[in-house]
Amino acid sequence: MSPSATDRFTARLSPKIDRRSIVFGALASPFVIARSHAAESLKAYSIWPENYARPMLEAFEKSTGIHVNFIRFSSGEALARLLAEKGNPQVDVLFGGPVETFTAGEEQGIFEAYTPPSAADLPKRFKSEKGQWTAIADDPLVFMTNSKFLAEHNLQPPASWDDLLNPAYKGMLQMADARTSGTAVTRIFSVLQVNNRNEDLAFAYMKKLRQNIQAYTKSGGGGTVPVGLGQAAGGIFFIVDALFTKQKGYDVQISFPKEGIGSAAECIALVKGNKSGAEARKLIDWATSPAMQSLLAPAKINFLPAHPKVAPDPDLAAVLKQAKIIEIDDKWAGENRKRIVDRWVAEVLNAG
Amino acid sequence: MAASVHSTAHGLIRPEPWLRAGGLLAIWLLLLILIVYPLLMLLSRAFFDDGQLSLQALLAAVTAAKNLRALGNSLLLAMMVGVAGTLVGLLFAFTVERVSGARRFSRLIDFFTFLPLISPPFTTSIAFVFSFGPRGLITYDLLGIKGVQVYGLTSTFAAETLTYFPIAYLALRPMLASISTGFEEAAFSLGGSRWHAFRTVTLPLVIPALANAFLLLFGCSLADFATPLILAGSDFSVLPTEAYLQITGMFDLKSGAILSLLLLVPAGLVFFAQERLVAGRSYVTVTGKAAVSAQHDSVSTAAGLALLGFCILMSALILYFYLLLFYASIVLAFGANHTLTLEHYRVIFSEGLPAIKDTLIIALVGMPLGGLYGIVVGYLVGRTTFMGRKAMELVSMLNYALPGTIVGIAYLLAFNDKPLALTGTATILIACYVFRYSPIGIRTTIALLQQIDRSMEEASQSLGASHLVTFRRVMLPLILPAFFAGLGVVFIRSMTAISATIFLVSINWTLITVKILENMTEVALGPAAAFSVFVIVVVVFVTSMLNVLLKRLTAPSLRVGRIGA
Amino acid sequence: MATASIEIRLAAISATFHHERRGDITAVRNLDLVVKPAEFLTLLGSSGCGKTTTLRMIAGFQKPSSGRIWFGGEDVTELAANQRDIGFVFQNYALFPHLSVFENVAYGLRVKRQDATLIESSVEAGLRQVGLQGMADRMINELSGGQQQRVALARAIAIKPRVLLFDEPLSNLDAQLRVLMRSEIVRLQKELAITTIYVTHDQEEAMAISDRIAIMDEGLIAQIGTAEELYQRPASRFVAGFLGSANLLRGTVIATGAGKTAIDILGHRWELSGDSPVTAGRQVDAVVRPEALTLAKQGSGLSGVVQRRTYFGDKAEYIVRVGEVAIQAIQWNPSLEDEFGAGQQVSLRLPSSNVQLLPA
Repeated sequence: MSPSATDRFTARLSPKIDRRSIVFGALASPFVIARSHAAESLKAYSIWPENYARPMLEAFEKSTGIHVNFIRFSSGEALARLLAEKGNPQVDVLFGGPVETFTAGEEQGIFEAYTPPSAADLPKRFKSEKGQWTAIADDPLVFMTNSKFLAEHNLQPPASWDDLLNPAYKGMLQMADARTSGTAVTRIFSVLQVNNRNEDLAFAYMKKLRQNIQAYTKSGGGGTVPVGLGQAAGGIFFIVDALFTKQKGYDVQISFPKEGIGSAAECIALVKGNKSGAEARKLIDWATSPAMQSLLAPAKINFLPAHPKVAPDPDLAAVLKQAKIIEIDDKWAGENRKRIVDRWVAEVLNAG
Repeated sequence: MAASVHSTAHGLIRPEPWLRAGGLLAIWLLLLILIVYPLLMLLSRAFFDDGQLSLQALLAAVTAAKNLRALGNSLLLAMMVGVAGTLVGLLFAFTVERVSGARRFSRLIDFFTFLPLISPPFTTSIAFVFSFGPRGLITYDLLGIKGVQVYGLTSTFAAETLTYFPIAYLALRPMLASISTGFEEAAFSLGGSRWHAFRTVTLPLVIPALANAFLLLFGCSLADFATPLILAGSDFSVLPTEAYLQITGMFDLKSGAILSLLLLVPAGLVFFAQERLVAGRSYVTVTGKAAVSAQHDSVSTAAGLALLGFCILMSALILYFYLLLFYASIVLAFGANHTLTLEHYRVIFSEGLPAIKDTLIIALVGMPLGGLYGIVVGYLVGRTTFMGRKAMELVSMLNYALPGTIVGIAYLLAFNDKPLALTGTATILIACYVFRYSPIGIRTTIALLQQIDRSMEEASQSLGASHLVTFRRVMLPLILPAFFAGLGVVFIRSMTAISATIFLVSINWTLITVKILENMTEVALGPAAAFSVFVIVVVVFVTSMLNVLLKRLTAPSLRVGRIGA
Repeated sequence: MATASIEIRLAAISATFHHERRGDITAVRNLDLVVKPAEFLTLLGSSGCGKTTTLRMIAGFQKPSSGRIWFGGEDVTELAANQRDIGFVFQNYALFPHLSVFENVAYGLRVKRQDATLIESSVEAGLRQVGLQGMADRMINELSGGQQQRVALARAIAIKPRVLLFDEPLSNLDAQLRVLMRSEIVRLQKELAITTIYVTHDQEEAMAISDRIAIMDEGLIAQIGTAEELYQRPASRFVAGFLGSANLLRGTVIATGAGKTAIDILGHRWELSGDSPVTAGRQVDAVVRPEALTLAKQGSGLSGVVQRRTYFGDKAEYIVRVGEVAIQAIQWNPSLEDEFGAGQQVSLRLPSSNVQLLPA
């Protein structure tokens, strides 16, 4: 007697296991596999990249026993998500990210006001008037260029905004896309600030700069490795990403424009409709205090601490010595963000 | 059969019509909720503003210069990729089938053309940038060309052609194999050159297949989100990437919806063109006998060598890309620090473990669901008659035919709120994959069924078996290859797709492909490469297992081609 | 399970299809048929006559547009095919390629959930009946056409159905095998005494195996009867021309009565026994089989000229021109003396009895 092939197959398995139980088992698995959570936990969207966020949040867990489940989004994406989820919030905290994202979020009413104790020690620009967000770090923008490229073209590291307009850089600059990245928005507002908020002047400059752009990247740090490898000649990045590139071993130069360049506070906020309020507040307290910020330097994460009581890493301070950091009016930036970005998309991005 | 159900002319309750009606209802319900409803939500978001029909925004977007430019770019790129990819695929297929020396290499070529099909996104793009950029390994280090622009139409076109030509190869090869060389021999014997014979005899027979391959590639390029994201640059915008950036960057769901619609038109046209084309064709019958290989060259030796050389060159290029990827995964910082290390693999298995677990769970759950769904719907549509059969076939194909971006956005809009809030769950991801990729299983089932004569089912019936028993004991074993094809596709896609699911990941469930993108944009190339290598290894392993399993379960007389194709 | 043979009855059966391009087609019209218990009835006709459609309606694969079907007093019209207790042998055998010979034959028994040992003995017995003992473990693709045919047969009878239906089962076999298999089928049917309906277009086959033949044309039964009845007494021109060849000689009835008829045919007075269906003065078509004609150098009969002679060894076929009419004649076991070449004058002697007269 020759049984059919499928019968043969089933027969080989133990008599107790038949096809049906395999199917049921497979279907049930996602619900059965228990997600092991620490006793206390909270959920967060992190705008900080994983390699910055993870060590910090692990330290938080070590210190408080609270586990943070997070997923990383670039600033535009995070904002979009929070807005889309307004009716059904999925996370408790928005961790890290440039201030312009937070002011925009504040405008859209996606945060819940909470003032951590450290807020009292912070200057005005590091906290929201209504307590909607608080700064955990500061991040100046820098010019970063590839050393080999400079040598080949007999150039000095750019020391002025206009230096970037040099035709030698044609099609060789990479910087962030304002639709998705807060780095770009900070950069645009820096240009505006340098031009005393004369929008027409600022946009004229940016249109000229467009000619030299190789690519606008999705995330702020997207252009760093291409610059490091020499595929691009240079770009404008947050110092944290630029120094990280240098630390990895890429041969790059960091410079600052003499007219001045902006800096973005990196912030944290409590999401409206959060489910783990107590834990979330603990995280905000911790992050805004020296407890977290003193861990940045040892971890070689090149943010400037926001809390005045934490001294910046000496190497970082040395780099910033020649920098002229100008202040951007965050409130004005938050109010005009959408309009300015729309205009940038229409006039600069699509002009090329 | 006096022993079984007693027959009376009236009042006989036959269980089978009820069972079938129930099954149909269940399928329709699934289709309506998971295909139709999201698309309707997408349309309503584009056309309506707070309940009012507003065509203003729609018209403004449709006529906006930048959107039209993106549309134009998408179409241009798709056209170029369609033509080039089909041509390359044809050359490959022709070489393997008609150049007698190439038989030896056919397994190798099969493997190399298989790789791009199962790779995670960005694989080709990354390798491209590193090879052909201003400091690229090939352009700068090897050829000494300076200042090459790697971002833009040319690179995107080249990368997409390389990624998708295997699809054309797989579509054209069986066609060439089935055309007996006898035709060419006859033409040849009547005088004229080999080229003439090819041009006047073989080519016309292959044209429907060529058109089909072109449409396949056109559709793939239209929908491609990953490659342009890396390679297109800011000067060459295409619709899927624009829609993605609108939504994720500008949190502008409405614009994203409208841009998706722009993409819907050409995608829909391509789909319908394919339907018309395929409907008229007759399928090659699976006889279990291997196709008779060419006894002699259909081309001159010189031409044959040239073709073979071309194929080997392309395969070498593909191999080089993957070696580059592997290399990037084992050095500390590609381009700067070339110390060998396993650090990146450590990272993906520690920090990246949740993503790996999530992706595997989703893939392994979706796999049997997709396979089963594929053969059930394939059987209903391909073998039974009922009202709305054609409609069911079309609807079930929709999520497959549409670009992933559209599907992802539609799901985001539909399932973010009541009545069905599925965002943040594994269900939405699994549903997306199952309903997007099982149409391949459906199509394969229908094709296989067409080759199984109706008399098979009638014979089973005449011997007393009900529809269900017939399906289980006769049809199912015969369409097993289709089931396995469905399994394979859903698994492969669950491991490698991104364009739809990038909108659907959440804090609870994340995917390896999204992690790769993240790492790429954060320029952590090591982990991105390590993840990619991991995905490729897993996919190759699982599909090999499936192939082995299929071989063991299929009667020798029914052997068909391999999975993954 | 059937023990006694049953009668099959069709009443006013018709089947109408809707074709996409050709509109409504009536394949079977208002057909009545009674098949006696254990009878071997053949539906004979050329393609498109409706014989296969009729068979499939009896099987239950197709629903009749109107009419009713009974199996031994039970109205089965509403029953699905799997509830009618039939055995169906298909033209292409329809064997299950993924199952072995044994499993194919056992299929119907397994569906009925019979006991395994019982199945084993039934299948072995069935295979022996068709001469395939020892082949139980082979796969279908290893068998020849004739062997596959036997498996199909064994599979159909294994379930001991009350009705056996054959759809041109031998058309895919070569001539010699066909002859061999058809006698096998008849032998088996007589042994099992199952009421059988057989469909074919091959008239030789039909005549060799059937108890009765129903000749179908355009959805209707033209005539039903034994082979002799149909051959000797065709009821219409169509039937006369369908079975074997026939010369239809038109003539005028001169006189009829008392079991004798005289016909004026092509100027010749022909007297034969038998009644005329029409009165004197009217025209008839006489069905004269080629083998019933005798050729002679001269004598009483129709005078004509040989147009063509074809020699087959066992017979010689002639086309003889009599006036305007070409008449076919066959000479069996021709000897050299009886040779008539083309162009020769001959006399065709008409038979004096056993001639069917049809109204013209």
